[in-house]
Amino acid sequence: MSASPLALILEGRKRPGRELLAEWVRTRRLSNSWAAIALVVGFAAMLGVQQVIEPGTMRLLSAVFMFVALAQAWNLIGGFTGYASFGQVAFFGLGAYITAVLMNNSHLTFWLAMPAAIAGGVLFAVLIGLPLLRLRGHYFAIATLGAAEGSREVINNMTPVTGGGLGITIPTFGDQAPTPYFGKPGFYLAFLILAALSVAVSALLARSRFGYAMVAVHEDEAAAGAVGINTTSVKVIAFAVSGAIVACAGSIYAFQQIEFYPSDVFDPSFTVLMVIMVVIGGSGSILGPLVGAVGLELLSQFLRINLGSYNQLIFGAIIVVVVVFFPQGVVNFFRDAWRLRRISLLDNIRRYRL
Amino acid sequence: MSQLLQAAAYGVVQGGLLGLVAVGFSLVWGVMNVINLSHGALAVTGAYLAWLLNLHFGLDPFLALPVVAIALFLFGYALQRGLINLVINAPIFLTLLLTFGLGLVILNSLQLLFNADDRTIETSYASQSLALGTVNVPYGRLAACGLALAITVGLAAVMTRTRLGHSISATGMDRGAARLMGIRARHVYAITFGISAALAGVAGTMIATVGSFNPTTTPGQLTLDAFVISVLGGLGNMYGALVGGLVLGIAESVGGLVLTGTWVNAIAMAVLILTLIVRPSGLIGKAQYSGRVEV
Amino acid sequence: MIAPSAPADAPVPILEVRGLSRKFGGVWALRDVSFAVAAGEVLGVIGPNGAGKTTLINLITGHLRPSGGHVLVGGIDVTKQRPWVIAHDGVARTFQIVKPFRGVTVRENVAIGAMHGNHRDRSVREALETADQILELVGITHRAGSAPSELSVADARRLELAKALACRPRLLLIDEVMAGLRPQEIESAVGLIHQLRESGITIVAVEHVMKAIISISDRIVVLHHGSILTSGTPDQVLSDPRVIEAYLGHRFARRRAT
Repeated sequence: MSASPLALILEGRKRPGRELLAEWVRTRRLSNSWAAIALVVGFAAMLGVQQVIEPGTMRLLSAVFMFVALAQAWNLIGGFTGYASFGQVAFFGLGAYITAVLMNNSHLTFWLAMPAAIAGGVLFAVLIGLPLLRLRGHYFAIATLGAAEGSREVINNMTPVTGGGLGITIPTFGDQAPTPYFGKPGFYLAFLILAALSVAVSALLARSRFGYAMVAVHEDEAAAGAVGINTTSVKVIAFAVSGAIVACAGSIYAFQQIEFYPSDVFDPSFTVLMVIMVVIGGSGSILGPLVGAVGLELLSQFLRINLGSYNQLIFGAIIVVVVVFFPQGVVNFFRDAWRLRRISLLDNIRRYRL
Repeated sequence: MSQLLQAAAYGVVQGGLLGLVAVGFSLVWGVMNVINLSHGALAVTGAYLAWLLNLHFGLDPFLALPVVAIALFLFGYALQRGLINLVINAPIFLTLLLTFGLGLVILNSLQLLFNADDRTIETSYASQSLALGTVNVPYGRLAACGLALAITVGLAAVMTRTRLGHSISATGMDRGAARLMGIRARHVYAITFGISAALAGVAGTMIATVGSFNPTTTPGQLTLDAFVISVLGGLGNMYGALVGGLVLGIAESVGGLVLTGTWVNAIAMAVLILTLIVRPSGLIGKAQYSGRVEV
Repeated sequence: MIAPSAPADAPVPILEVRGLSRKFGGVWALRDVSFAVAAGEVLGVIGPNGAGKTTLINLITGHLRPSGGHVLVGGIDVTKQRPWVIAHDGVARTFQIVKPFRGVTVRENVAIGAMHGNHRDRSVREALETADQILELVGITHRAGSAPSELSVADARRLELAKALACRPRLLLIDEVMAGLRPQEIESAVGLIHQLRESGITIVAVEHVMKAIISISDRIVVLHHGSILTSGTPDQVLSDPRVIEAYLGHRFARRRAT
């Protein structure tokens, strides 16, 4: 074989891991580390905020943090990988019930129950992901919706274990409590850590080879397969990581709620909220779901407090307006507006209308 | 045994009604590739309209049907023309979200107007039923089921025999080609959605006559049923929707008898998922659309 | 596992298909097709529309499951393997209808090939470096930062080729990379293929552009209605009266004659 420059390119060279690591360290700059710095600063700022706010506000912000994690999780499978799951709440409910059952029936501590919930989420993702991720578009959406409804019904009917429709209670007081209740400051911290971790995991995945593989699967599976991407495992792993984050959120949520029913933790509106937060913010990025989750959760809390019975009506109207006017998400909308120095809502409508 | 027969009979008439809910849902899905999550809310809108007509004018729900159908048709036409057409080419989760938001708006408006109480349309014949040996079938249900059958057959005839039906099918198969043939896709889509809404309204009225409804749980349940039935029956397949409705109706009533609790719902979901995996074209549909990835 | 058909001392062909068949509904798109490609060879595949050329490539790369027959790469049976397994065996391909990853830049498109198609580039950074080299090789360095949708037809084909090359294949299957190109673009594509071949890559080229396929191929296989009509050197195939009459048309036949 000739040693032409072309042949050398095509041959490539294998470099040791040590060399790569050294190069990575050497090339760290402010310009390529700002995201990590922003995350650390944001995390520290929220710790600072906690010192000056009321417990009620802590509870509100805990919910915001939880939705940040849920939105990032949905974005992994729905945004990056392009498989719009309408059943992610299944992982939430599953995580909640695994935690409650282990703490209530088996008297395990939260610190054992939560990892078990995450493991359960991963296992469930692999089990339903392998057959369902072969489906496309609407069919995947319905199948996942069906899986979520089905798992709620299963939990609902496993009365001896789960309490069924009568709900389940996690013991939190006295000798009965396997783990002392966290209280509002504790759950604030727990959800903050979950949110920060989910953002970090998403950001790391997005910049890795795996992140590019997710995008490739999203764009074209045949082409992805042709360049050596194992599309099946990319889809299942993305689904499993997403499921693990959602299950962990469900686990903490269950402990926070103490008492709940299948219809609470398998409520399809959790799924819809995840989707709408990602869509409002902008899918397939890290900032989009973050902005969407924070913005929408604060807005819906505001509506709930100030508009009473009209809040759901207005919430529905907001969804409609966002889908029509910001189909690509506000983050992308403002980025494009900045780049083109032009704000045009009509362009958005022209894109998808008949 | 007689219990089982009674359950089966109930399942058949209930299934006919559910089939009618699903026919419109399946039509919109098949023609426009839109999953209308507000379908149940439209059905309940129809139910409230018939309930109001009965309450204030004493109009029999069966006589109110034309009014409900026309009102819902116009509402549906306007919705599609003014709103859904705006995002018809968007990725699927956007149309799903849009119709979900639309459903929220509709059912919360209804709840604000009429509160969340269970309602039913009272008729003089509600308590009378036809006795077939040991099996009793209420006249109201029987009539509702017969009507559902007649409407489905009528709609299938419209779709296969008329110019409008051909326009709708053609647009569903290939919108670009249909437009080249001079079909106004926007108008055809709006008519399709109007028909679907009218069917939902009629089905809602029938459900309100033979049972009860409310704005909080009924819409979601109906949409979910329509989902399952459409998948079982095959998209855009009118008779498929009816058969799917009957299958679901019988399975739920007989299953409810045999199984404890709500296991039957879990089984319905398992059947839905299995159908999607094994036969995405539906149990009796032709394999014309592949929902699977070929790799 | 199937026994090799050639004598034990003969070099193992890099690609061999045996009795490959695929049925769509009731129609055979490809029926009982067998041939072998030796390492370093350029094999041209021609045939009229619907002859089964693209189906053949899809069957080799695992994008379609064969109804019958076998595919061997380097003597190893890869029939019914998934596409990524075959890609990792050193088989890369282009798509006739270009399939860029639209959400990322041209450079990242090629880098995706580099980071997943071979076992050399283990980090995104390395893959991007490889991508830069390959973009230069195919001549679209100036479009590195563009979105794939902004590319011209010729550049989109080059991107398709670059993605495949980034996988560092030993066998490259190209599906009509020259269709619809201008003459000088075809010339540069032909030059590139010669270059690739000199670097040791084995090439199977499906092509409509006759002039190009003649100048690059060592051997040509002619497909018709899913079966091999004839095969041989370009001159043998082109002088075969059946080929001239049935597939290339009378005009081409006359031009060859003069």
